[in-house]
Amino acid sequence: MELDVGNKSISRKLKVENEYGIHARPAALIVKEAARYTADIYLEKDGNRVSCKSIMGLMTIEGFPGSWVTLIATGSDAADALDSLEALFVAKFHEA
Amino acid sequence: MKMREITVQRLLDQGADSLKLKVLAGEDYLSRKVQETAMNRPGLALTGFFTYFAHQRLQIFGLAELTYLKNLEPAERRSRLEAVFKQQIPGVVLTRKRRAIPEILELAAAYQVPVLCTSMVTMDFVNACTVMLDELTAPTKRVQGTTLELMGIGVLLRGDPGIGKSETALALIERGYSLVSDDVTEMRRTSQGRLFCWANDMTRYHMEIRGLGIIHVPSLFGVSAIRRQTELDLVIDLTMPTGEEDRTGVLQETVDILGVSVPLIMLPVRSGRDMANIVEVAALNQKLKELGHDAAKELDDKIISRLNGVGRGQ
Repeated sequence: MELDVGNKSISRKLKVENEYGIHARPAALIVKEAARYTADIYLEKDGNRVSCKSIMGLMTIEGFPGSWVTLIATGSDAADALDSLEALFVAKFHEA
Repeated sequence: MKMREITVQRLLDQGADSLKLKVLAGEDYLSRKVQETAMNRPGLALTGFFTYFAHQRLQIFGLAELTYLKNLEPAERRSRLEAVFKQQIPGVVLTRKRRAIPEILELAAAYQVPVLCTSMVTMDFVNACTVMLDELTAPTKRVQGTTLELMGIGVLLRGDPGIGKSETALALIERGYSLVSDDVTEMRRTSQGRLFCWANDMTRYHMEIRGLGIIHVPSLFGVSAIRRQTELDLVIDLTMPTGEEDRTGVLQETVDILGVSVPLIMLPVRSGRDMANIVEVAALNQKLKELGHDAAKELDDKIISRLNGVGRGQ
């Protein structure tokens, strides 16, 4: 990933607002969205950092409803990636 | 490597069954931190000698300490105990299910020190508790990667998302090897500098396979296909081919994890290449190296000695 032009890492704090938190379905949505970008995207919570391109990783971070997580992205399309992932969080993963 | 601090509460939670620990007094002060894995028997301190007193350790009152205290006059007993409690100790454990001396309970409240008891014999407790404290305070790390055990060799597969870690692991499980964790591996470094890997409680023994979704490995392949924990012997990075790969295996690369240097192999992935087979051989080769037999180095030595022999006309 050294080839990326913008190697600055950007981050954003987001709240988990859907009813059941980050369970399998939201995790899959995040992975699907993250996979569209070449940037390295991570989600951090309580000092644990997992790749947003890993379903198993996302299911271990215990993103319970109401908790805050930090998205961190590095790469040329990092900003776009964060925007689209934030939209997913805001849309409550299209759940109730 | 700095050890992690743990609270007396954590020790109590983990040791309620195995160490038979119970709280006798000072429930409100269980948040006190244990900063050393060793324990102290405060015999000398009870006689009034405090030079080199290990105040940051758990203080163990066994048969000897309690019998000694019982033989003192009440006023003397209280002042001796108070001198110990004054030292900002993290906690007190009474062994052998001894009844607490009332002074200990009073001082626990006065100096905000938790007092626990166990039915274990002192020596057994100290041994078991040291091992547990060592585990609880060991530095840990969560790493991205799939861990397997192949013939006693713990292998961590790393690589970019989608490169085929889980697929390779699945092929190895089908060959009879065991899954420890998929995609997310928890690691602990022991005080002896050994690394142990296990799975996150939430996702343990589950795998995500592209196109299939989430599967439960023991349900599909039986309990022999899983292992709760393994010691890490080898890290294999699955990479896109760069042409820069080591072709001889003479240069052993390593990766630093929690301050431990672990052998590292970079395996380029190409379609049609049987990655499971190569990982299997890499693990076998690692086992051979650990037995003191390094094939690459031996061949190289043979060539070097031949070349030099020929060069000198022998």
